[in-house]
Amino acid sequence: MVWISLLIASFSLMAKELPKFLTKHPMQSIRYISADGRYAYIQKKPGVLGLVSSFRSIDFISEASTNDFLVKDSRFKERLLIEVIPGNHQEFNVMKHPKIMVVDWGKTQLRQIGQGLASRLHFNDEWVSYYDNIEKIIYLQNILTEKKFAIKLSPKSNNFYIPEVEMVSNDTLVYTDVNDKGYAALIQHNLITQKGTVIYKSPQIGTKLELCQDKGYLAIGEFPFDDISRSSKVLRIKLSGGTNLAGFETLYSSSDSDLGNMVCRENEIYFIKTLLHNRKINLKQTEAVRLDLKSTQVTTVTDLSTVSQLISMDGRILIPFRGDFYVLEGEANLTDDKLKSPTGNNEELPLDI
Amino acid sequence: MSPRFWPNPHFKILGTALGLCLSFYTSAQTTPLATPSSVNYPGILESLEKLIQIDNTKFSKKNELLLKSGKNSTDFTTVSSIEVDPDFLNSIILHSDPGYIRLASIGKCRFYDSIINDLLKNSEGKIKNVFVTFVNQNKERDSALIPRKDFLARVVNQECPETPKLIDQFQVKNLDQTIRSTNFEQPSGRDQCRNIYLEWLNNSKTPYFCKLHEFMKETRLRSGDPKDLPQRQAITKILEQKLNITQRDYLENICQNLENEDLFCEEFLNVSFWSKVASGVENKIFGEDICRSVMNSPNLSDIQLKTCLGRLKKESDLCLYPGGRSQGILPSPQCDTLATALNYSSLRSDYLDCPASSDQQAVTNMGRILLNISKEPLAALNGPCSAISSGVTYDFNDKFNNDENWKLEACYEDRLAEKEVCQKIFFGSYGNSPQSYNVVVADILKRTRGADTNIKCEMVDSEDYNPLMLTYKSGCFIIYERSKCFISQCKHKILFNDRPIDFIKIKNRATLEYFATNVNDERFSQNYILTRDYKQNGRSLNNISGIVAFFKKKRDGIIHGVGCAEEILPSFFKVKAMNQCTPLPFIIDGMIRENDKTVFVTRTGVDSLQAPRLISWSLIYSAVKSYQNAHPLRLWTLYGLD
Repeated sequence: MVWISLLIASFSLMAKELPKFLTKHPMQSIRYISADGRYAYIQKKPGVLGLVSSFRSIDFISEASTNDFLVKDSRFKERLLIEVIPGNHQEFNVMKHPKIMVVDWGKTQLRQIGQGLASRLHFNDEWVSYYDNIEKIIYLQNILTEKKFAIKLSPKSNNFYIPEVEMVSNDTLVYTDVNDKGYAALIQHNLITQKGTVIYKSPQIGTKLELCQDKGYLAIGEFPFDDISRSSKVLRIKLSGGTNLAGFETLYSSSDSDLGNMVCRENEIYFIKTLLHNRKINLKQTEAVRLDLKSTQVTTVTDLSTVSQLISMDGRILIPFRGDFYVLEGEANLTDDKLKSPTGNNEELPLDI
Repeated sequence: MSPRFWPNPHFKILGTALGLCLSFYTSAQTTPLATPSSVNYPGILESLEKLIQIDNTKFSKKNELLLKSGKNSTDFTTVSSIEVDPDFLNSIILHSDPGYIRLASIGKCRFYDSIINDLLKNSEGKIKNVFVTFVNQNKERDSALIPRKDFLARVVNQECPETPKLIDQFQVKNLDQTIRSTNFEQPSGRDQCRNIYLEWLNNSKTPYFCKLHEFMKETRLRSGDPKDLPQRQAITKILEQKLNITQRDYLENICQNLENEDLFCEEFLNVSFWSKVASGVENKIFGEDICRSVMNSPNLSDIQLKTCLGRLKKESDLCLYPGGRSQGILPSPQCDTLATALNYSSLRSDYLDCPASSDQQAVTNMGRILLNISKEPLAALNGPCSAISSGVTYDFNDKFNNDENWKLEACYEDRLAEKEVCQKIFFGSYGNSPQSYNVVVADILKRTRGADTNIKCEMVDSEDYNPLMLTYKSGCFIIYERSKCFISQCKHKILFNDRPIDFIKIKNRATLEYFATNVNDERFSQNYILTRDYKQNGRSLNNISGIVAFFKKKRDGIIHGVGCAEEILPSFFKVKAMNQCTPLPFIIDGMIRENDKTVFVTRTGVDSLQAPRLISWSLIYSAVKSYQNAHPLRLWTLYGLD
């Protein structure tokens, strides 16, 4: 048995017992909940999405009972994306195109955007991107002006490939692509000239590129896919508001086959690291780690053995694990029954549907 | 493997096993040569080299002494207690392959068999003479040197009566019968492999089979005495006619790994899956699409395939991005991991079902389960190869009166009846199914366009379609775009006598309840029909001990279930929102346990049928648990079918 554990020198272990996430709502029904728990988008019954705040509850989407919902936010907290997934338990298609809608944060007035995969809000929540895997096109749409761009990916990429997209300025976005040989690349696309430039090409096949962004930087993670033994790294490009994406620094590099699934924050990046790997039977011990952006020190922050995903939601970082959610960052207990007084107009639910 | 001069772990075993025939009693024999008075041993390797050096000196001096003293032609009729000389034994231990020492240490006769088959070596190389000690007429222990041939006649044949029979069995004229009666069983699990390894180790024929292996190896490497080479080549030719490539590989594996059970089993349970494909034991479908890409050749010759399969054993990245039309989610596992998974897999995989052309993984999964159970031969296919899964799954639902819930239809306006008429369909054609899209389109053309009663429609890949060819000028053709043709939707156009037909509309999608989402309609779910109507004895499995017991009871059983894609394949599907769960059906058809850890051979609905993954119980459990939370009835969706 070959157990590989090649930990970089600055790696340290500070795993603590994580609290479970507790709210007053049934956990399975929550689609989005604010950091303080005052706003929650809840699937109240099959096909019905409601907004519950301190004093009001309103059902604002009513779909077929077989449909499900996802609610996604961004660090700008201006708007939320709502995906309506048709026939969640009848149509088993991992590449299904959900209906995409936008609401202002904490509100209920819906705007239809389109249909596609992997929708994301960008750049002050004024833009939405989503992907059509059949036509292999990334769509980028301005919510205010409804201006729409279509960016065509490599026609030979695998049908199950989903690109990552980040908008770094109002005329530049970066996205990932992969060629038929399996080399991943990062492409900078100028919306004005409609031209793309490869700014990073992976030197190895069998890896994926991940992107995430926070104040002043864009992080690029290169991690291997599940069954593959490869090195991992996290790069950073400092953003100065312009379109110059040349030059990146390596924040983290390891010979371990890390899982990735990065979450970017102002001062740190969380991702999932492989601590032990029995390659013969593809068995991994994976934990969430915190990469400090100043010191570049990596610290293990969980002790769950098989962490596979991280969820960022209004500043809170959750770890889904065996049907429960553990809180890595942010308030864990939202079961406080004390009534909080409204703090301003935003607290009231507008009757706008 | 240890270097040849490394102290052998079987030294003690050999000493004990041969205790009856070997004596370390030296009082009356030729005076043993003294070890040099001072030897420096600065490091372990150097000390061992010194040992060999000492042995060489001792051996040659003793050989010289025995020859000089004329003790090479002793008449053994008047002596007793003939035993192998301990210095001779030491020399064997220091110069022989550790595997053959292990074999020789099984017992006295196995030791002799190893000598007469040239498996053991001394400082001279192949053993020509044997040093023995014996008790002479004066009741004193004396030493002598006997030619190997005499040793066989005077010692071996008398002490080991089975040896002459074995020698006879390995004469060329009897070899066919000997090979036929030998079990070259390929193990499929660790326990079985251990038993097979022990059987070979204890088998009295093993030294003789290893002799054959060494003979062929020497010829291949052109080693040994060059004068004998033409003769060896001629005999090797005969041997290669009698032993097929699998048997030769098998002998190579056992003879080279006699001292290492793990390596022996590794070859079967791991990398050697590709050898099994090369030798025809496993279907070449497992390597074809990979090798087409590796060899950059759409039509592989047998030689190209074998060359490529040889590379798969050494270059693990070659399996990541296979070519061909039937692809799953990419990258596939690396070749070594894939070979391990395939060695423990039992699901029927002798056909391509194009998961990348499926937008309904429940149908892909059900097709795999049903064909695995029925074992029926595959029917004729036309159109996208996902039609195999669609056809099999539709027929299954039709058979159990659940066709009503297959919603995908082709519709047209019946002008006579003044109403819309719809017929259930699946894209492509499979066997004689009347719901094949080809059949339905032909039927509609007969009703609406007065087409000939014998008309047949053919689905043609747009990449193969050439509008200039006369073939396409008459008749019915459905031209589909392969990259945009799935189970529920398929971009295509219909040509009837070179004219487009655009009045046939596709409605709805191929939706299926895999596990019931409400109590009233439970009987329409696929799991219910499989378990109750098709009587597959499905039972819920929710802990590891239950699954281990399931596979112990039925090694070729399969487990099917639905879990969240984000948990089963976390590097392919990233969670971006709370309670995000993309349901993904999967099949588990094998298990590997190492210490207290368990991984499963798993094919999700997006994986190629020929490329299963090894997924830990922890991920499977998490995936099913998360889906349970998302499921309207909070069902646990992992079922064993035995």
